[in-house]
Amino acid sequence: MIKILAACGAGINSSHQIKAAIESEMRNRGYNVQVDAVMVKDITEEMMKNYDIFTPISNTDVGFEITIPVVEAGPILYRIPAMAEPVFNELESIIKKLQ
Amino acid sequence: MNTIIDLFNSIFQPIIDLGAAPMMFIVLSVFGILLKVKPSKAIEGGLKLAIALTGIGAIIDMLTGAFSQALQDFVKSTGIELTITDVGWAPLATITWGSPYTLFFLGVMVIVNIVMIVLKKTNTLDVDIFNIWHLSITGLLVMYYSDSLLLATALIVLIGVLKIINSDLMKPTFNDLLNAPKSNPMTSTHMNYMLNPIIMVFDKIFDKFFPWLDKYDFDAAKLNNKIGFWGSKFAIGVYLGLFIGLLSGQGLKATFALAFTAAVCLELFSLIGSWFIASVEPISQGITNMATKYLKGRTFNIGLDWPFIAGRAEMWAAANILAPILLLEALILPGNGILPLGGIIAMGLTPALLVVTRGKILRMIIIGALILPVFLISGTMIAPFVTKTAELVGAFPSGVEAGTLITHSTLEGPLEKILAVLVGQASTGQIEFIIYALIAVVVYVALFIWYAKEMKKRNAEYEAAEQNKVA
Repeated sequence: MIKILAACGAGINSSHQIKAAIESEMRNRGYNVQVDAVMVKDITEEMMKNYDIFTPISNTDVGFEITIPVVEAGPILYRIPAMAEPVFNELESIIKKLQ
Repeated sequence: MNTIIDLFNSIFQPIIDLGAAPMMFIVLSVFGILLKVKPSKAIEGGLKLAIALTGIGAIIDMLTGAFSQALQDFVKSTGIELTITDVGWAPLATITWGSPYTLFFLGVMVIVNIVMIVLKKTNTLDVDIFNIWHLSITGLLVMYYSDSLLLATALIVLIGVLKIINSDLMKPTFNDLLNAPKSNPMTSTHMNYMLNPIIMVFDKIFDKFFPWLDKYDFDAAKLNNKIGFWGSKFAIGVYLGLFIGLLSGQGLKATFALAFTAAVCLELFSLIGSWFIASVEPISQGITNMATKYLKGRTFNIGLDWPFIAGRAEMWAAANILAPILLLEALILPGNGILPLGGIIAMGLTPALLVVTRGKILRMIIIGALILPVFLISGTMIAPFVTKTAELVGAFPSGVEAGTLITHSTLEGPLEKILAVLVGQASTGQIEFIIYALIAVVVYVALFIWYAKEMKKRNAEYEAAEQNKVA
């Protein structure tokens, strides 16, 4: 099981869209993932240790060094499948490496 | 004509009589199906909206039930007249989505957006359907004072068009802030960026008189790291509960109860907020599918909710520092009736500060502190309307004593709310109100035009820098 951390401004809207999209697409591709959605403000170094991949909307300055793979997931929010595809492909290749 | 109205009434009156939650379940589900969303998805969305409305009502009940007496005691013991409960953004958004007019305003704005794209007046396709509520609540406010759907729609179209133009103006700045390439389509039509013009006035003053201040800017990310969980929702709920409990002389046991109740409510408001965002998801996708099909062959920027710039640490550092400042201002600002609670992290303000100052943290804090009173005034002004609307959609407890008011202390678009009140009052026909409203609209639009010019200058600089890089 791969654990993914999604993050946005309020931890409510954008990050939940990213969470729902990644979970359903990765399941379709046959991977077992769990995505948690949080507020950028609430991310700590300790929290990040519990995850395998970080998927913020865009370039995110959390104030410490991120040691897990980062995939910017913003294009998922455009609601246009062709634009989200590269994000999912990148995620898939990282998951394959991790497994 | 009368027969048509009678027919409409005989169909819709029974649905309206069911109350807001069942009505919006039916309306949103049918709306989704009409947009060719899969019926099961459409019904899922409708149900989520209904349970969100029901849930938010329960939490408002819990919060006002716990705090209304304490706030009265607070007034008695401190002499500070702050009795309006600040419930934050989620209840207001839910209440607004509980009104069928929101779907009407949404329809109007989708058409306006498509017309603007076809006429090449914008390059932005707004897919942030959920945040139509910021415009809708402005329209409902006009109707609260005037009962005129026409007037409300006119104001909404005016603000809506400016919002879309603003998303084009801000596009290069977003690329700069995100360190993204020019091909990045992310921009935002969010209402909170309509504060940019007034923030830019202050920013120009800084450019002219206090440019030396910028060298004292500090590392925002490091500060946020140090704050850690102490700045999270439940922690803030605990502080404010303790603050009100102690100052209103509640005794230790009751004070702890207030602190923990506030913390629970702030966490649950967000949780329920996520349900009803999910409820709008199917129609968001439906509208986007239809719009992109209709506009084939055009590439555009995508108008999203604001948080894609939430990765910038300055935004959170400014929000954290502005929270106690907001509390202090609330205590001393004449005419303010709100004790900040649910809205104390001013997310309706800091994104606009970030965009205009481009991350100059001290400017963000100082300009933010100067603008916060506008939020308090607007929040106080709209409290009777918010409370009444909450009652109408069944999200306000009937058991609470009369005179209890709710609002949001940092609701996005405070200038637009004040504008809506003035425009709504003008419909009474009193000549002085009409003059006030006209002046307000003219000043609002003129300020935007000046701001647009400044932004075009900024964008030309970005363009030139890009050229230099290539050359």
